[in-house]
Amino acid sequence: MATEDSSGDNAQHVTATGGVGNYIAVFVGLCLLTGMSFLTTSEWWPWRDQPGFTRTFMMAVACAKALLVLLFFMHLKHEAGWKYILTLPACVMAIILAASLVPDVGFRLRSAADRAEPANNTRETTIERGQENASDQAPSDN
Amino acid sequence: MDSTASAESIQLRYQPAVPIRNGKLMLWLFLSTEVMFFAALIGTYIVLRFGAAAWPTPTDVHLSEPIGALNTFILICSSVTIVLALESARADSGGRAKAYLFVTLLLGAAFLGIKAYEYQVKFHHGLHVDRARRTIYDQADLEYASGLRAALRSVTADTNADAAALAAATALLEQANNPDADPSALALQAAEFSEVPEAADWRLPIVIPGGHMWTSTYFLLTGLHALHVAAGLLVFVCVLPLRLGTARAGLLENVGLYWHFVDIVWIFLFPLLYLF
Repeated sequence: MATEDSSGDNAQHVTATGGVGNYIAVFVGLCLLTGMSFLTTSEWWPWRDQPGFTRTFMMAVACAKALLVLLFFMHLKHEAGWKYILTLPACVMAIILAASLVPDVGFRLRSAADRAEPANNTRETTIERGQENASDQAPSDN
Repeated sequence: MDSTASAESIQLRYQPAVPIRNGKLMLWLFLSTEVMFFAALIGTYIVLRFGAAAWPTPTDVHLSEPIGALNTFILICSSVTIVLALESARADSGGRAKAYLFVTLLLGAAFLGIKAYEYQVKFHHGLHVDRARRTIYDQADLEYASGLRAALRSVTADTNADAAALAAATALLEQANNPDADPSALALQAAEFSEVPEAADWRLPIVIPGGHMWTSTYFLLTGLHALHVAAGLLVFVCVLPLRLGTARAGLLENVGLYWHFVDIVWIFLFPLLYLF
């Protein structure tokens, strides 16, 4: 009896949706956004010499696409308040995870720039070391 | 007596903390862990990508942007068909729901097929999952020249090789044996030599700055995503024989939620891997 009751509850919890027309509209929007991302690789993209702007644009387009899928295909737009309980903690954790990596990116870029000049010396050292070995050792993958 | 009577009259009723089906709740909790899983992977990729001193262009590693866009389009189409399957199931139209689910299965299989073709192209050019089988060198140095000599020696020792290509390989080997030869110039010549059709399968080493890191991250990200796609297809195969009426709308909704998540992950992987 309890099982029947719970299944009865389940039947009431079927999420409302926007209908087929809504899905088709979202599909067209997703295709257009994908085309916009792809456009950034073409000759017609006017900001080809600004990779920072282009990458930001592409990520903004990706976020817009993900939002469309979440809201309409995954029906979060029509869900009740529980959606925040289940999705926000994961999103916050994901953002913290990504943000905590940012200092590493900054340090790596800075140290890579610092190493730019001594990089030539590294190659000379490699050559010297190779000449000391003098033998042609074939790598294991060949 | 009164207390006994009142105890019997108590009617307990289950009040769920979150007003959704248990299956849907568990699936959303699973997706929450998946969000963090892929966030860690993508975050690490971004660190490695933008922290690297050198990173190959899509052309260097034989990445095709149109093929990546096509795969994005296929996954978007599959998201539409799975959601149409759900709508059909809710309308108790089991046949139509099955048809849409089957189309979704085909689209997912097409995605994996295209991904397999992409992998095959990478393997053909010496970009392998495991480092031991790669023919990549990060720079044209003495190690590269040594690897080139070893590869050319195995080519010249091959008695079945084409005569013209063999002569070209021997000439290149003579240059590579010159201790004063500039490894960068050798790398350029070897790259041109690799364009010779007869020499395409000779696995001559190639110089791709940052190539090893790119290969590791590319195969890890796309491979794990492809595994998720394959898991989704397996679920489709299990669900297809069932009667997909109103009673199974909840099941179909759960399957659809998982599939949409797989779509969302690819939505982020496509620009990061193919367009950046």
